[in-house]
Amino acid sequence: MATLGTFLLLASFVVCSYSAVATVVGTRRGSRPLVESGIGAFYLITALMTCASAVMVNAFLTNDYTIKYVVHYSDSVQPLFYKITSYWGGLDGSIMFWVFLLSIFGSIAVYVNRERHRELIPYVVATISVVQMFFLYLMVVHKNPFATYVAGAPQEGEGLNPLLQNYWMAIHPPSLYTGFVGMTVPFAFGIAALITGHLDDSWLRAVRRWTMFSWLFLSFGLTLGMIWAYEELGWGGYWAWDPVENAGLLPWFTATAFLHSVMVQERRSMLRVWNVTLVIVTFFLTIFGTFMTRSGVVQSVHAFGQDTTLAWLFTGFMVAILSFSFGLVIYRLPLLKARNELDSWLSREAAFLVNNWILLFSAMLVLFGTMFPTLSEAITGERLTVAGPFFNKWLIPVGLVLLGLTGLGPLLAWRRSTIKNLVDQFFWPAAGGLVSLGAALALKIPVWSAGLCFALCGMVVATVVQEFWRGARVRQKNTRTDLFTALVGLVGRNKRRYGGYIVHVGIVLIFFGFAGNARKLDQQVLLKPGAETTIGRYTVRNNGIKVADDGQKQMTTAYLSVFVNGQQVDGLYPARWAYRRHEQEPTTEVAIRRTVAEDLYAVLGGFNLADQSATLELHVNPLVNWIWFGFGVMAIGTGIALLPERSFAFAVSRLPAEAATTVGLLLALMLLGGTALTAQSRSAAEAQSGSVPGATGMQPGMGGSEDTRSSFYARTPFEKEMQHEIVCTCGGCGHQNLAECRKDACVVAHQMRGELAALIDQGKSRDEIIQAFITKYGSEEMLGAPVDKGFNRLAWLFPYAAGATGALLVGFAAVRWSRRLPARADAAVAADPDLEERLDDELRDLD
Amino acid sequence: MVSFLEVLMTHRYIKMGVTAAVLALAFAGLMWSTLRDGTEYFKHVDEVMANRAAWEGKALQLHGYVVPGSIMVKPSTLEYKFKVQNNPARSGESGTIVDATYKGIVPDTFKDEAEVVLRGRLTSQGFHTDPNGVVAKCPSKYEEKATGAGT
Repeated sequence: MATLGTFLLLASFVVCSYSAVATVVGTRRGSRPLVESGIGAFYLITALMTCASAVMVNAFLTNDYTIKYVVHYSDSVQPLFYKITSYWGGLDGSIMFWVFLLSIFGSIAVYVNRERHRELIPYVVATISVVQMFFLYLMVVHKNPFATYVAGAPQEGEGLNPLLQNYWMAIHPPSLYTGFVGMTVPFAFGIAALITGHLDDSWLRAVRRWTMFSWLFLSFGLTLGMIWAYEELGWGGYWAWDPVENAGLLPWFTATAFLHSVMVQERRSMLRVWNVTLVIVTFFLTIFGTFMTRSGVVQSVHAFGQDTTLAWLFTGFMVAILSFSFGLVIYRLPLLKARNELDSWLSREAAFLVNNWILLFSAMLVLFGTMFPTLSEAITGERLTVAGPFFNKWLIPVGLVLLGLTGLGPLLAWRRSTIKNLVDQFFWPAAGGLVSLGAALALKIPVWSAGLCFALCGMVVATVVQEFWRGARVRQKNTRTDLFTALVGLVGRNKRRYGGYIVHVGIVLIFFGFAGNARKLDQQVLLKPGAETTIGRYTVRNNGIKVADDGQKQMTTAYLSVFVNGQQVDGLYPARWAYRRHEQEPTTEVAIRRTVAEDLYAVLGGFNLADQSATLELHVNPLVNWIWFGFGVMAIGTGIALLPERSFAFAVSRLPAEAATTVGLLLALMLLGGTALTAQSRSAAEAQSGSVPGATGMQPGMGGSEDTRSSFYARTPFEKEMQHEIVCTCGGCGHQNLAECRKDACVVAHQMRGELAALIDQGKSRDEIIQAFITKYGSEEMLGAPVDKGFNRLAWLFPYAAGATGALLVGFAAVRWSRRLPARADAAVAADPDLEERLDDELRDLD
Repeated sequence: MVSFLEVLMTHRYIKMGVTAAVLALAFAGLMWSTLRDGTEYFKHVDEVMANRAAWEGKALQLHGYVVPGSIMVKPSTLEYKFKVQNNPARSGESGTIVDATYKGIVPDTFKDEAEVVLRGRLTSQGFHTDPNGVVAKCPSKYEEKATGAGT
């Protein structure tokens, strides 16, 4: 199998080089068939890489320990899910995964644009092929993921690093890779435009969507990384300015800048050199990020190991990218001249320009800070490092200015704003900002920087609301519909703009969450059993420590009770897990009580089994959940901006009455989805922290009659979970849990399952049930270890999945309507062409 | 007679140049001041102890190895006292040794012979480690397969 894999990689390399050469030579000689064959070869790479990936996944699934990579990142007891994700868990596999994704994206991009941008396609294909060739070359000569042992292959693998055995970690790298790899497509189009000299705005249209798409995944990947750090690393925060994190952030800055500046080019034909540069820099930074994390140039807790050969290969590639791309830009400078000049600094384009400078500045600053140890060592010979404080000192003000611009930009007119229109536009946003500032001060929040952050958040929200409101009013007046339909039409008419505003709201929520750091509380404490400590409004009591083993790992869990005002509100179960063969590196399993206002976060730092004392690290993190929620809003906004052009066609022009109603209904459904989203994340949060009110609500209708009650099998996931958690007290089964102790003779287990079912039917929560059992059976002996919370974590994804499905459904319906409508709408609506025209005009003014 | 200021304001390039210079200066000043209190020297025990007085009070990241058997904890507290030496314990030669103190939760990998980087300041009593300032690497046999969270 390994030989087949290596062969596939080699074949891909050869096909890649053919594809690059054939398309370029074909275009130069004007030979269409040659170009076509090159494009065909380009599609073939996707097929080859898919096969290679299949071989790799198969090797993991069949525990093929002749392959070194499999030995390093898997073992036979690893759950199936992680066996598959091990594919991208290590250095070699991640490079292969990179090429795999790039081949897929490249093929899609080429296929979609094959007619519209016929003149660009050959060079797009060639550019992507060359990038693929580089990574394939890395694998073939240096880091072959299919490398085998010459002799004496081990019988068992070493297992994936326990820290990576986490749901977030399984989806975080693919998402980040998608973002990184996706940025290659805009770059390829940019290079193609530079080479061919087709430097009008058409190449921008081809890449806008791709940039947005990649940006979304980049944001998603960064968010997942934060969630992973927050839940798995157990230091109570989510961002540590670690080089690897920074590597993901760098292209995010420049891609965000590009998404904004591209609008200036579309409207005003300015900033053309700037846009090409941003696309190149963004791509360069993705490669640079990959280089930083994989070559060991910077020290990081979670960088891959040191590798000098790789460092040199990457350096060569990066130098080549920069000199080639910027050489082309300089060569094409005459074609890239701006057609307009900046009229006034009080204009939308000026705001965009400032936003771009700041974003680029942030990127350079983070780059500088990240490379500082390496730079200082090279220059002075002293290894100096900069840490969190440096980044925070710089990026907090920079972030606040950006947040401010988020609110100001949309209020300024293109070209030039007059005083009158400034007063008119700024009144409500300024009021919103002042009110928020007042509220923050009333709550005794310091003005710098949290108070200011809240004020700016208020201002941005006011701006966005005002934009929606005014737009909808104008449209309502012109189309004589209700406000709601007008709103839908408005968004549909300019999806990118209004989707963008929704993204801004998401950004506000994220900043709102960041500002919570001002009120963070930390405590480290050693608690004897029964002892209590107080942090914020919480009192935490240690009830003791238990050890359990599930075959893959040994789990030491602290049982904590949380009290607010003397009332027990929750139980927390922080733990340490020691995986087989990774005993030296136990993982911290944090326990979090999530609420909208704040998280109570507990880490088991150490324990003493003899006297049952626990060393705990407690944090109160205000507003953290708003960050994740903000990302959700951001994703919805980007989704709207990404919808195909015609998806809102029905709402934009020929609008039959029933369509409006249906859209209303659909949107209402989506809104419901939105509330369900909050509710769901709350219940998921509660599920995580111990009580599952949602699950108990499922009982009626699921057959809770007397005879099923004492039956063997759990009726709901919640009951199953509880059965796994409570241990049978019969004494004959060796402390199996209720789900396992299934001997007919075991009357005790039978009875206990019955009691459990009865308690669940009464609607008791998890903690209440546990308390009831403790009261009845006298000790905590019957408590097994808390189940792995992995499944509950997946529940977090659910609202987003639901949201995405909703958006897809709306899009689908929209496409259907816009296809069907013209036939019958022509007669009905063409009624007032004047009106149409006026509306168009007004909306154009609004822009 | 045109004043100096007028000349300055009428010529576009001078205006731009002055603005750029002011901005650059402000930036350099800010950068210098933040770097001054934001940076930490990354030093090995030998380097620091060779000229102890010069390093006292400076923000340091001290690299070394925990002296076997030196870790002590005050019962029922989180106060640690231990010694750090310049060379790995197995190399036979310890190099210079420095006393260190720390209060808080230590990482699991913090144990005898562990390779550590301590963030903190050197005082006359020894190295005073900042809260959460202990970074311990895995024992060497795990080092080569230290894998990473991908990017």
